[in-house]
Amino acid sequence: MEKRYWKGVEELNNDPEFVRLRDNEFFEHLPLDEALQKRADSDSSTSRRDFLKFVGFSVAAASLAACDAPVKKAIPYVVKPEEVTLGIPNYYASTYANGSDYCSILVKTREGRPIKIEGNELSTVTKGGTNARVQASVLSLYDSARLQQPMANKKRSDWASVDAAIAAGLAQQAAAGKKIVLVTDSLYSPSAKKAVADFSAKYPTAKHVVYDAVSYHGMIKGNEMSFGKATLPSYHFDKAEVIVSFSADFLQSWVSPIEFARQYGETRKLRNGKRTLSKHYQFESMLSLSGANADQRHKLKPSQQAAAVASLYNKVAALAGGTAVNVAATPLDKVLDTVAKELVAAKGKSVVVSASNDPNEQVLINAINHLCGNYGNTIDLDRACNLKSSNDTAVAEWLTDMNAGNVGAVIFWNTNPVYTMGGSKALETGLTKVALKVSFADREDETASLCDYICPDHHYLESWGDAEPYKGHYSLMQPTIRPLFNTRQAAESIMKWAGAAQADYYTYVQDYWRANIYPMQSGISSFEAFWNQSLRDGVFAASFVIGGASAFNGDVAAAAAALPKPGSGVEVVLYEKAGLSNGADANNPWLQELPDPITKICWDNYFAVLPAFAEKMGWRQGNVIEVKAGNAVVKGPVLLQPAVADETIAVAVGYGRTKAGKAGNNVGFNAYPFVSISGGAMKYYATGANVAKTVDDDYKLAGTQTHHTMMGREIVKETSLAAWLKDPQSGNHPELLDSPYGKKKPSELDLWATESQPAFERPNHSWGMGIDLNSCIGCGACVVACNAENNVPVVGKDEIGRAREMHWIRIDRYYTSDTTKQNAADKGLGKLDMYAEMEVPAADNPQVMFQPVMCQHCNHAPCETVCPVAATTHSSDGLNMMAYNRCVGTRYCANNCPYKVRRYNWFKYSDNEQFPYNMQDSLGKMVLNPDVTVRSRGVMEKCSMCVQRIQYGRLEAKKEGRRPKDGEIKTACAQGCPTNAIVFGDFNDPNSEINALFKDQRSYHLLESINTKPSVFYQTKVWNREESAAAEKHHA
Amino acid sequence: MFHYAYRRLTSKLLVLFLIVISSTIALAQPNGEAIFKANCTACHVTGEDVVVGPGLKNVHKKYKEEWLLKWIRNSQSLIKTGDAQAVKIYEQYNKVAMPAFNLSDDEIKSVIAYIKAESEAAPAAPAGGGDGAATAGAGVEEEDNFPLVLAMVLVILIALFVILNRVQKGLQRIINQREGIAEPVKLEGKAGVKQWIRANKKLIAVIVIIGFVWGSVEGWNALSGIGIQQGYAPDQPIKFSHKLHVGQNKIDCRYCHSGAEKSKNAGIPSPNVCMNCHKYVKKGPQYGTEEISKIYAAIGWDVDKQQYTGKTKPIEWVRIHNLPDLAYFNHAQHVKVGGVECQTCHGPVEEMETMQQFSPLTMGWCIQCHRESQVKTENNGYYTELHEKMKKQYGDDVKLTVEKLGGTECARCHY
Repeated sequence: MEKRYWKGVEELNNDPEFVRLRDNEFFEHLPLDEALQKRADSDSSTSRRDFLKFVGFSVAAASLAACDAPVKKAIPYVVKPEEVTLGIPNYYASTYANGSDYCSILVKTREGRPIKIEGNELSTVTKGGTNARVQASVLSLYDSARLQQPMANKKRSDWASVDAAIAAGLAQQAAAGKKIVLVTDSLYSPSAKKAVADFSAKYPTAKHVVYDAVSYHGMIKGNEMSFGKATLPSYHFDKAEVIVSFSADFLQSWVSPIEFARQYGETRKLRNGKRTLSKHYQFESMLSLSGANADQRHKLKPSQQAAAVASLYNKVAALAGGTAVNVAATPLDKVLDTVAKELVAAKGKSVVVSASNDPNEQVLINAINHLCGNYGNTIDLDRACNLKSSNDTAVAEWLTDMNAGNVGAVIFWNTNPVYTMGGSKALETGLTKVALKVSFADREDETASLCDYICPDHHYLESWGDAEPYKGHYSLMQPTIRPLFNTRQAAESIMKWAGAAQADYYTYVQDYWRANIYPMQSGISSFEAFWNQSLRDGVFAASFVIGGASAFNGDVAAAAAALPKPGSGVEVVLYEKAGLSNGADANNPWLQELPDPITKICWDNYFAVLPAFAEKMGWRQGNVIEVKAGNAVVKGPVLLQPAVADETIAVAVGYGRTKAGKAGNNVGFNAYPFVSISGGAMKYYATGANVAKTVDDDYKLAGTQTHHTMMGREIVKETSLAAWLKDPQSGNHPELLDSPYGKKKPSELDLWATESQPAFERPNHSWGMGIDLNSCIGCGACVVACNAENNVPVVGKDEIGRAREMHWIRIDRYYTSDTTKQNAADKGLGKLDMYAEMEVPAADNPQVMFQPVMCQHCNHAPCETVCPVAATTHSSDGLNMMAYNRCVGTRYCANNCPYKVRRYNWFKYSDNEQFPYNMQDSLGKMVLNPDVTVRSRGVMEKCSMCVQRIQYGRLEAKKEGRRPKDGEIKTACAQGCPTNAIVFGDFNDPNSEINALFKDQRSYHLLESINTKPSVFYQTKVWNREESAAAEKHHA
Repeated sequence: MFHYAYRRLTSKLLVLFLIVISSTIALAQPNGEAIFKANCTACHVTGEDVVVGPGLKNVHKKYKEEWLLKWIRNSQSLIKTGDAQAVKIYEQYNKVAMPAFNLSDDEIKSVIAYIKAESEAAPAAPAGGGDGAATAGAGVEEEDNFPLVLAMVLVILIALFVILNRVQKGLQRIINQREGIAEPVKLEGKAGVKQWIRANKKLIAVIVIIGFVWGSVEGWNALSGIGIQQGYAPDQPIKFSHKLHVGQNKIDCRYCHSGAEKSKNAGIPSPNVCMNCHKYVKKGPQYGTEEISKIYAAIGWDVDKQQYTGKTKPIEWVRIHNLPDLAYFNHAQHVKVGGVECQTCHGPVEEMETMQQFSPLTMGWCIQCHRESQVKTENNGYYTELHEKMKKQYGDDVKLTVEKLGGTECARCHY
């Protein structure tokens, strides 16, 4: 029987409608007629023909319009300056003397535009070193928040009217007998000092008050009490065998950190036959950069420090013959015994320093140094340091005077007390009683916005000037670009108001040098030649005889009696961060995005507390707490930070600016309110703080490192000096792998090629980099130097929080853990528990290790083999190359990179409102390096080993028909490093420094066992301490 | 309307075409003008101005033809014969010898005829130029006006479109009223959007077309933006002739483009370099003072007072060679180290009246040269040891190409 299928129930029913339609092609009704009908009715008259006409016309129009492609202009100079060759950089020596640091620098300019700061190796002070702030300072030049003209009563004005108004105001105040107060930070430019003196001569009621946000009043006063010299001495850490620091972070912020880092680095190197290390003790309450580098670090609460210093004095005095003072026993006495012994043993070769601003404590420190015979050896009072001249007494007096109505005019220069005094009532009310308020601030900052007149200062790269960081050591500042805006140098304003005869400050500086500095030398017989020579070199050092040891006549007993008593309860300690320091450069996004060397947090400050203490208080990371101490009530997030002293809260100043600019406003919170005045000096810690958790939502902190231990792997290899002396390979015995041929070194097992038959040749150059972990202090100068050199974008806190930072070089910071593979069994931990435990940093006082990591330029690169479009390939001189325009953004390479150094452009960071930093406006873009591509969205990028510098150096050599000299080509990170920890060079050059270093038995490759054969190598960290015996056993 | 526009466009193009054809035909004849321009313009103009030699206006009246023939063929020998007229001219123009020309009598006569024609033609006409140039100029002007005409047509069209549309809508409403058809109800939401689309098909079509045009233009520009524009020879603000300066006056390229041996940029000379010569050379053979005066205007040189006024205005040259930002190219590497002739990449510049992009400037073109070119190792200490090493490895006749030293690797040009 034939099967039948119905099309539907209609067919089965023989529906008449169905029968009518079943023979049609389309059974269902198609609305064709309606459609046609509708079209006829509709008012649309666009027929197919019309449409084709339109298209044809548009093609014709397009091709016609296209003939007129946008014209690119090439506009040459009208008269080309002789020294400018397009495409060739010019370097000018100058001086960075902006706020807290001093550095002698070279400014790289391209076509008249400063784009990079490098260290000046001719300087006798900084010797070619830089730090993160110096490197970032070039970006502040192109800050769109800068004022573009003088302001009078919040309105734009011009120099003539502002000058006239201020001159009239000053004359009026002087006539009325009111004080004219000039508030500056520590001024160490001799010409500027002369201008101030001229000003004081013209206005007899003028008073110069030196106010530093972070004051060194205690040290200066202490030296006056000890030696009758109210000045800072110069320190020679390079000559010290024992370094003892009481919370002085001399590698990052204390007095002259660049200079000290370079000196310190010298004592930490084991090169060229040097087989000794300095021994560094650090006593501190928060974990500072110096503390992280110390061989032995001991914790104490801020208020316990004075007693510890007194105790150390007693112990040294007992050994070296001094009078003892009264001091209670401290918990650190046992350690201090050893320290005292070592200090006395290294007579004349030690340094003891303290960051305390208490003059009495400084007297005791001086006494210790005196007993150890350090004056005249490692400390020199005759080569006085001018970098700091803070005077807290004068500041207090000024505040009193203002409130009493005795101050008629106040001029702020490089100071921002409304911010740095943290809402001081005395300042606030006092300022309202001052008739004439003038600020030289380059922007409408917290203080300037309360002033009647703002006379914006030049950026230092636009200024003439000089500096005398140490007695007899002079340094010149020269402009490297014409002033971008209608600004004027502050010193020139002072000079003008003082009625100086010179037309401009340039002449003024020259006249000063002609009269005072030129006669200090006899080698050059004309001033012009001397001036040109000094300007070319950037520095001039007068030769003078160093005085002998200074006579100590401080009253130790009185000082000890006046020391503050140890406090109780929770204490707050303030510190300066590597990036923002005192907060003057808060609007510099490079500094904001520089991860803190220790916490690795960007774009924030926080209350750092010991994890155990937080647990006791019931706090977790990110909880917002309120801290009340003295008059200060401050809210902020908690950060768990190992190695902070118990019951101590460490917090960085420099944040919480409200009038710094787009990038710097409302980042973090202001910690300056914790500063109090005690015994006439600013105190940077507070005792007896009340702390309470708030009900606020948790605050998200963004950091670049979330994993803090090495988890039993040998990433940073370490050993002790004693072990290294016995076995130069100590701590660096290669890992042997099991193979069919027995235990073999990873490099002997190779999938692709063997040593005798390499996969490819490097006939010409073979670039490489060596990083000495012993002298790397983790400061972050390299990170900012790399940002500036390679146009690395700033991504902001939110993106950092998503682990999308773009830095090509990062500094990994590792803590040791209490659990090791060795002791896990003793603790009865299984494998999983062991790894979980190993993730936790030692709760109390872990060791800290730093390791800069950038692209390792592997010769067997895992990234290269997985790229589907060959965008990343290997060069014949050992570089791992990255062709941005070839990259399609699969990110396979980043996933396959064992070092995690590849960075992906999740967004277009330039010209994107979402990222309101320097790459958005035409002003900020002036800092870009024209030799490096600005990457776009969707491509991978990474360290190129500064290939543009290699290309430049090679070409210079070729043009001169020679091989490149060793050390001639330096990557930005190597150039910026204050301790010379990074060495770049050519392995094919048998006499290169890098070859010598690589042959050293401390050299190793990162993650050697995976056999990627990197071009970058590291050198084992050698500690100068005994206790790493355990670690030694482990390595053996 | 469109048909009309097309017709206008076609007729214009036709006119242009005819002009070009006729001038080409005119140039193809062996005539005095061509010979004059090829041989004489470095020193003479057909007007009265003195360039190096005297202006030649009415020279056919001043001297006899036989004398002129002798003089032009070899002036020095004529002077040596002691011809008074010849010696006088020689001394009058600072004893600058006029070179001998190997021209036939007919050719010289045609030159004289050309000068005669020039002298008699429009006395007020600017020095230099001539008929050919004038015609070409007119042609260019015509072409320049074209977009303006197009824009005007467009404006009229749009205006018409709007007016007619309104009229039509008004009429429709009247019809609807008469026939009692209600106004369409305005719909909300999705249906409203659909309704709007139905009602505005024309507008959407226009937007699509504009989008298409815009896309095509942008695409084209993107290509020229990365230098894919071989043969690009834009008009420059000053009609600088490389043919005259390099070809005839034999000025070395690096005299003006001094960066070529030092830097990645060869550099466009700043007007102060021009002034080294043009302080004294005040008239050009082709455009007289017109173009040179633009240099004076740029650098602020007062010709009458012979001093700088201080008022400067940079010259905005049109950039011809546009390498994209992602490609690094260094002139010094090629010119100084590699010893590559400028002409290798820039073509016969000495023959270019208007500078143009000679090479494609594509990556394939770069790579090809790097594969074929040998590194210039002689007398360069950078390569000595390397070359020896390679010789040992590959034999004495090793061809050390740029590629062998990594010259085709990405990071040599891209970073």
